[in-house]
Amino acid sequence: MKTKTLLPAAFLSPALIILAVLALVPTVYAIVISFEDRELSRPDGRFVGLDNYVSLFSDRRFLNAIQVSLTWEVLTVAATLVIAIGLGILMFECASPKARNVLSLLFLMPVILPRVSAAFVWKFAFHPLYGIITYPYKAITGQPLDLLSNPVTALGTVALVDVWQWGLFFSVIVLKLLETLPPQPFEAARLDHARPWEVYAYVALPMLKAPLISLAFVKMIESLRAFDLIYVMTRGGPGISTETLDMYAFSQGFIESGRISYASSMAVLMMIATSVAFTFIWKRAKV
Amino acid sequence: MSRPTTGRLVGRIILALAAFSAVFPVFWTTLNAFKNRVDIVTPTPLFIFTPTLDNFAYVLGRDSVFAGLVNSLLISGAAVLIGAVLGLPAAYAIARYPNRWSKDIQFFVLSLRFLPPVAVAIPLMVIWLDLGLYDTRTSMIVTYTLLTLATVIWLSVPAFARVPKEVEEAARVDGYGPFSVFFLIALPIASRSLIGAVAFAFVLVWNEFLIALMLTTSDAKTLPIVASELTQLGRDVPWGILNASVVLLSIPPLLFLGVLSGMLNSAFKRKSS
Repeated sequence: MKTKTLLPAAFLSPALIILAVLALVPTVYAIVISFEDRELSRPDGRFVGLDNYVSLFSDRRFLNAIQVSLTWEVLTVAATLVIAIGLGILMFECASPKARNVLSLLFLMPVILPRVSAAFVWKFAFHPLYGIITYPYKAITGQPLDLLSNPVTALGTVALVDVWQWGLFFSVIVLKLLETLPPQPFEAARLDHARPWEVYAYVALPMLKAPLISLAFVKMIESLRAFDLIYVMTRGGPGISTETLDMYAFSQGFIESGRISYASSMAVLMMIATSVAFTFIWKRAKV
Repeated sequence: MSRPTTGRLVGRIILALAAFSAVFPVFWTTLNAFKNRVDIVTPTPLFIFTPTLDNFAYVLGRDSVFAGLVNSLLISGAAVLIGAVLGLPAAYAIARYPNRWSKDIQFFVLSLRFLPPVAVAIPLMVIWLDLGLYDTRTSMIVTYTLLTLATVIWLSVPAFARVPKEVEEAARVDGYGPFSVFFLIALPIASRSLIGAVAFAFVLVWNEFLIALMLTTSDAKTLPIVASELTQLGRDVPWGILNASVVLLSIPPLLFLGVLSGMLNSAFKRKSS
């Protein structure tokens, strides 16, 4: 390591230059477009200043989308962590090493599935007439149960699929984290006649505080990528009850009116909000 | 540990239910992929039926699905290859030659993950349209390289950091130059974790949806897009075909299940020792 070598420069610069170009050009472009009035049908836009941003804040669908996105974010992150910690502890507590390996493999499967597949699998399972999940309800009451067409239950039903993918996956990580802990604190707590839940609540989980915060952080980022699930399962409906920000930006820029500039201004706001929030959380978590 | 109480039993039942929930939906979809339409559209779910290969034959025989498969393989493959060729050396340089920007570089690479996919897709759509490259494999490969490169770097830095420094020092004493140390020592030793990192990057772009949806319309459509179009068909839904196309789409990522689980294991092994 003491000798001077060209290696770092030769190895780093191609990758970093490409990343910088690929990341910065679209970002700058997004900002430029957002100050124009471009549409898909009309490639050349005029500079309109902050018009797009101003109209966003009187757009009720945009305000609704913010609310849906925030609900989605809180719902999926919280549920994922609860499931992950719960199942992780259960595996640590009552599964043999062999069973742990099998469970880890099985719990990894949902998250590896393409989200389009996961979304379809569950959409079909929730099908009011032929779905296997809605079947018991239909058999008992004689009524079909259509959770995805009900504005009250649609978002929660889609969130269930997200938590199915990430909660099971993270439970494997929680298990691995618990396995890295030294056994002494557990034994000490048991000698003090602590109940199992007390051991975890007051000893094990506080010791894992930093990695658990990182997990929450990763999930927050991943929860922003809910588009595929929502697109396949509800397309933002019924009405606009599951229309998240990316779904709304997509439909503005693409399906309904091709208002690229308007969609871009939404994307820029999302970019700013997430960058600021995540940089803040990241720096905080590191300290 | 030694309390075979009802609590343990309940715990095991919950775990069994969770395992069931992880596997059953996939199993059920696979089962439906082998059913005739009449066996799917039943008032009571059927477990016993005469299997048919018609759905798979139909799906594989469709030009759109086949084209999507080829596009997905070429685009994901090329993007992963570029990501690995450029990303692995970069990760090694970050892990082994830290300088005052290393932390910032790592944060920059990670922060690419904060970018909302729409925020990347909308401007790229305009850029590729302006360049006349919209809806081409080239533009998709370049776009996906952003994802694969960042992912490979992000996951490979810890893998290279786990290579024992002494081994590299010894090689240097034996007269190996810095480049030979990378190619002949670090790369082979870290290969298991690195394969995991590359496999993860592949799964990521194979499954990618939003960007592909916005950047392709016909020629460069990837398999997830084709599959999602099938799932949006109208009233008289060919459920068997849908299930078959979903199974087809899910096979490649599931092939990497073992590799990815191995990567997860090795990532946590070091901490415990």
